[in-house]
Amino acid sequence: MGNEERRIGVYVCWCGGNISDVVNVEKVVEAIKNEAGVVVARHFMFMCSEAGQKMIIDDIKKYKLNAVVVASCSPKLHELTFRNVVARAGLNPYMYYHANIREQSSWAHSNDPEEATRKAIRHVRMAIAYLRHAEPLEKIRVSATPSVLIIGGGISGLKAALDLSRMGINVYVVEKQPFIGGHLAKIGSIYPYGRKGWEVVSTLVKELRKRDNVVIYTNAEVESVKGFIGNFEVSIRVKPRYFKRMCKRLDEVTKVCPIRVPDEYSYGVKKRSAIILPPYPGAYPELPAIDMNSCTKCMKCLEVCKDSIDFSQEEQIIKLKVGSIITATGFKPYRPKEGEFGYKVYGEVITLPELLSILKQSDSKDRLVINGKEVKDLAFIYCVGSRQKPKGNNDKINTYCSRYCCNATMFTAIKLFERYRGIRQYHVYRDIRTYGKNELMYEKACKMGAVFVKYDENDPPKVYRNNNKLIVKVKDLLTEREELEIPVDLVVLVTGMEPNDNEKLNEILKLPTGRGGFYQEVHPKLRPVETTLAGFLIAGTAQGPKDSRESLLSASAAAAKAAGTVLKGFIELEPFVAFVDPEKCELSKTCIAECPYGAISVKNYEGFGKKAWVNPALCKGCGSCVAVCPVGAIQIRGLTNKQIEDMIKTSAKEV
Amino acid sequence: MGEILERILADAVEEKEEKKYDVLIIGGGIAGEESALDLAEMGFKVLLVEKEPSIGGHMFLLSKVFPTLDCASCISTPRMAAVAHHPNITLMTYSEVKEIEKRGEGDFRVRILKKPRFVEESLCTGCAQCESACPVIVPKEYDFGLRGRKAAYIPFDTAVPKIAVIDIDHCVFCGQCEMVCPVGAINFLQKPKIIKVKVGAIIVATGYKLFPIGRKKEYMYGKLANVITSMQMDRVLAPTRPYNSVLRPLDGKEPMNIAFVLCSGSRDRTVGNPLCSQVCCMYSIKQAQLLMGALPLADITIYYMDIRAFGKGFEEFYQQAKDMGVIFIKGRIAKIEPTENGDIVVHYEDIENGGKLRKAVHDLVVLSVGLLPNPEIAKVFKNVKLELDEYGWIKQKDENISPVETSIPGVFTAGCIIGPKDIPDTVVEAAAAAAHVAAYLNEVRRGGE
Repeated sequence: MGNEERRIGVYVCWCGGNISDVVNVEKVVEAIKNEAGVVVARHFMFMCSEAGQKMIIDDIKKYKLNAVVVASCSPKLHELTFRNVVARAGLNPYMYYHANIREQSSWAHSNDPEEATRKAIRHVRMAIAYLRHAEPLEKIRVSATPSVLIIGGGISGLKAALDLSRMGINVYVVEKQPFIGGHLAKIGSIYPYGRKGWEVVSTLVKELRKRDNVVIYTNAEVESVKGFIGNFEVSIRVKPRYFKRMCKRLDEVTKVCPIRVPDEYSYGVKKRSAIILPPYPGAYPELPAIDMNSCTKCMKCLEVCKDSIDFSQEEQIIKLKVGSIITATGFKPYRPKEGEFGYKVYGEVITLPELLSILKQSDSKDRLVINGKEVKDLAFIYCVGSRQKPKGNNDKINTYCSRYCCNATMFTAIKLFERYRGIRQYHVYRDIRTYGKNELMYEKACKMGAVFVKYDENDPPKVYRNNNKLIVKVKDLLTEREELEIPVDLVVLVTGMEPNDNEKLNEILKLPTGRGGFYQEVHPKLRPVETTLAGFLIAGTAQGPKDSRESLLSASAAAAKAAGTVLKGFIELEPFVAFVDPEKCELSKTCIAECPYGAISVKNYEGFGKKAWVNPALCKGCGSCVAVCPVGAIQIRGLTNKQIEDMIKTSAKEV
Repeated sequence: MGEILERILADAVEEKEEKKYDVLIIGGGIAGEESALDLAEMGFKVLLVEKEPSIGGHMFLLSKVFPTLDCASCISTPRMAAVAHHPNITLMTYSEVKEIEKRGEGDFRVRILKKPRFVEESLCTGCAQCESACPVIVPKEYDFGLRGRKAAYIPFDTAVPKIAVIDIDHCVFCGQCEMVCPVGAINFLQKPKIIKVKVGAIIVATGYKLFPIGRKKEYMYGKLANVITSMQMDRVLAPTRPYNSVLRPLDGKEPMNIAFVLCSGSRDRTVGNPLCSQVCCMYSIKQAQLLMGALPLADITIYYMDIRAFGKGFEEFYQQAKDMGVIFIKGRIAKIEPTENGDIVVHYEDIENGGKLRKAVHDLVVLSVGLLPNPEIAKVFKNVKLELDEYGWIKQKDENISPVETSIPGVFTAGCIIGPKDIPDTVVEAAAAAAHVAAYLNEVRRGGE
């Protein structure tokens, strides 16, 4: 513990006013400046600023400080900032304690400045007590495997894979479906230029296939993940395709298959057999796959493609070592409930993804025919499954805006006008959110004759049938709430995005999710692709609704962060891990049974014989072992019993 | 830039030595900082060039940021400090990239003008004694004229680097600063320099310009003191704010009935900007919420066309503002007029209530100004052309596959230089640019081996 005299500097931050508007910072400084060990105590508007940091460094040198307290915001925000500051001044970075007097004092007790001030003083005193017993610690350095696992083979996963591969990093892509490409591959034209969605995907696929450091597993799922940042051990279950080579008679073989189920690659607009063919030009892999969920093993397919189909193929388990994991599992379109705006009640009520699939298939036709009827009038109803209002019951609702839908609808509107002369469109909306340059599409759709009708969120439109037309009944806010009954041939529900069904994966990865069920980033503004789990990154719509361009950007951002981890070749872990005092340990092995991370084993200590040993790379510092050890032989570094005891005693002192 | 400084800059002396870096990042706002830190973490040597005396861009000027209501200084100043201290990042402030020549893939030759601060950077400690001594007061750029600064000044408390600069165009050469400087850092003879560097790749992150709302005559900006821009309002609400309270500029009265005029200079072909600026709805809602905290009795009205709360957590933030009592009126402001006591009359069409033309009186009007492109940087490319789109934003090579690539291989973009966007999108894009630079450099270098 070193017998050198402890010389502590204490810095109380105003946090602009976030703290000082409530907590009397001068009083805090006054109250603690004579605590044992305190040499200098100050307050300042922004300790985290360059000027504040310089103040600390100058003081460390001038007063020969050997420990520093900053009382400011949450340690999540700035503990690291200040550890680096003291390190720059030549101190061990762990001779620092971060007292949180913003979240725990000024914000929590904004209505009681005096109590907030008293609590802040207690926090600072505890910090000083901690440092009185602190000792220099070193980070634990472990090597990092220069490879990255990407979960999800949609546009985001593929883009992240390409970026990382180009940086010289090995990449494994795991896709649950039999073909990569995700939603984008299912879509015809995408905004703003009308490029084909599948073409964007196949361009990326072509690039990826040129590279020798990319491995793509389809029909595959992550089975387990063990280890820690830099050193994950992943096991992957790959389901067989039951196709060992290409068959030339694919048309025939799908015809002989007696199964017909909704085709997921056209959002159920088409039916497919149990043999899933490559769903778009340039699809990867090129081999078809047999869907065992629908196959009845009638073996009729063998009559046509005997040499290609092999039902003896078995599942494979593949083990991988990776340094970082990017989760890019995407979204699923909101599925309206039966009867929601007439969905599934009237055949002429469909969703936007369904319309896009129909349009993709009827590329060359000059008439839009749905359910055998030509569509001359159609209505879009916006915000279906998005921006929902709480209803008081426990139904899961989506309060968020799905971001892409206004843009996608506006683009679709333009395409419809261009392709089907004389078509009339009614856009029944709440707010048109064609942000940025997307505004130009809104402007164009208006000019081409789209009629916009704004509805009140508390009085949504109703859809019912009258003779051979559907009627959309809505009070239009733009025309004195006039009640309109719009006769149409087709109603398109502009559905939002929902997070994909990832129950199994979530159990394995334990990534935090936020409101709406999308994966939660560390900080929505400044750390949008990192998660609170070290080494785990998120990309694309798994994090929140985005369009394809925004997904690409988020994928590249995740690639940058993953590269930051693995390119260095090593990872530094915090030193707050358990350690065993071999002199005290009686090898009861209770700790070994208790450790949730399997970090404790038995080791031969020189002079002490066999005792418990903690692997610092696996230990997360949870403290379970400390609590169960019958003889008190285990402690956590940087959080010793002595430190905790003194902090508790100090906190109880009068203010 | 003033005439005198410009004349001085014309005599810049070229340094002989050519320095080498992996990447040049132009612009030290939040985008440039993010790209720089990401690349530095990957092990690349980064040169970050900022034309202002401090890095930080627009973000650190803001009060709090949506939708988390984080204090902008609290989250951006540590980034600025991290940039300044990263061993792989070299920072050049008060410097401008003047010329870029591409010699080949992974080989850009750049000439950078280092403007004289008339203060020796290596000596100045940022004590601000020169600032106290200086007798000259001019409007402060960082507060959009709401208060003054001296001719010898430190840009702001949390500036990085915290080094004084002398505004030579307003200096009266009284010598006071020189007399009080405890370290003798003032040097009126300091010369501008041209620094030559060779870099492998470039990220352009020079941000945006605020829409000059004086162009929309009917909004009376610049004529009526109580018509302010949203950027001024953000300064009024910031912890480092000019009045240390929310007051209206004309008479220092505490406003009780504040109006926000959305789409000021956006979605408006009459002023030449048909695009939506993507951030104004949300920052106005944020300001409205902050004002409700600062002035609990004040009425806040937001006049809007569509509320575009499209990002993660934005819609909920909008609903929260409604629940707090912010009044939202769908209608575009047609005209703004003064009254005798400094209050402001706005004329609008009340679309959702019968479309009548109405007038309302407010005691402070905030124009939620939009974002315009900042295409000047395109001019510095000599033998290669950095293409712009028809509105002046940098053109993306292939938006659907590689949104941060430009018409020049090896030159990438981060942030608002390709279009208006908020901070989360800017940060994502900046990290994406870093990934592309890393990929590009790896390929160019392996190809060259």
